[in-house]
Amino acid sequence: MSENTFMGVPREKIDWFPIIDYDKCNYCLECVKFCPHDVYEVRENEEKKVIVKNPYNCVVFCRACGKTCGVDALSFPDKSEVTKKIKQLRMEMEQNG
Amino acid sequence: MDKNYVVLPCNGLDKCAGCITREIALILKEKISCEIICPVFYRVADARYNKLANENQLIVIDGCNTRCATRLASEKNLKVYKKVNVSEVAQKNNITLSKELKVGEDEKRVIEIIINELLQENQNTSKDLEIKFPETLDYEIYKKDKFIFRLPKNGFYFNENDCWVYVDGNLARIGVTDYVQQSLSDIMFFNPPTVGNEISQFDEVGTIESGKAVFEIISPVSGKIVRINEKLLESPEYINENPYEKGWIADIELSDFESDKMLLLTFDEYFEKMKRKVDEFHV
Repeated sequence: MSENTFMGVPREKIDWFPIIDYDKCNYCLECVKFCPHDVYEVRENEEKKVIVKNPYNCVVFCRACGKTCGVDALSFPDKSEVTKKIKQLRMEMEQNG
Repeated sequence: MDKNYVVLPCNGLDKCAGCITREIALILKEKISCEIICPVFYRVADARYNKLANENQLIVIDGCNTRCATRLASEKNLKVYKKVNVSEVAQKNNITLSKELKVGEDEKRVIEIIINELLQENQNTSKDLEIKFPETLDYEIYKKDKFIFRLPKNGFYFNENDCWVYVDGNLARIGVTDYVQQSLSDIMFFNPPTVGNEISQFDEVGTIESGKAVFEIISPVSGKIVRINEKLLESPEYINENPYEKGWIADIELSDFESDKMLLLTFDEYFEKMKRKVDEFHV
């Protein structure tokens, strides 16, 4: 993994990663093929054949895999909420020196 | 060069669409302080309007497909800058115009749509939305194998999604960094954002695509898109040649740069980050 902070905030504190709607997913695996950051993992023998394995590998604010999904099964958090949270976390970190 | 606008409505009084052209002309007069040409008077005595129509950008507004205003303009040999047909716009937006002559709710919607389109166009071509961008840039360079990563030193900010912004007053130009174009290699498509769209910081503003991958351009700033680099539609390879100069992506009218700045990196910060990414990631 290359980056473990985003704008100085530890990556694990930022809730930005895709959420798979398994009611819609048809396991075409285009998202897996697309994402170069190993966010997804294929599970051939399980009911859920693809999972979000490494959520914090996901590039904050990137939604590109969502475009490859023909059935619109991938969703992301609300961007402005996440931006607000990052600003808040940075302020807290500054205050705590 | 500073041309103003003049509007020629058909002003057809016996049809609702004609009455709408009059309303539009009145609103335009108020909003962009343009002159109005009265088609009735123009027919009987053209001396007054010929000069006005020839020296300004002429907007012709027809109510219906009889196109009285367009015909009048062509009879008088006028150069038309922009043409609007009220009935066509209504049809395109699935609005049925009233048989009455009074302007009702549906008609108001048509008026609003047309005004918005015209004003947007007006803003896009407005002179004061021209960004002052430096003619030459001073770069710091990081080399890795045969790859060269340039980064402009002065006046630029960056986000962690490898996009840059150059700010000039309330305007900004955005683009991607060398890290993006080197990682993607030959860029073959530029899918631009829509001019006139309001965007927030970190919204997607188009994509660029190579044989390797699709890259979402993540805006470093919030505001309104006032211009895209149309040359990229024909020649997306400009981004590979120089993503800071001829390969810029879009110009944005800023809405709150002071707040955006909190989540942007300076040259020094991004240069360090880019070097790390190049060392760890680049293949």
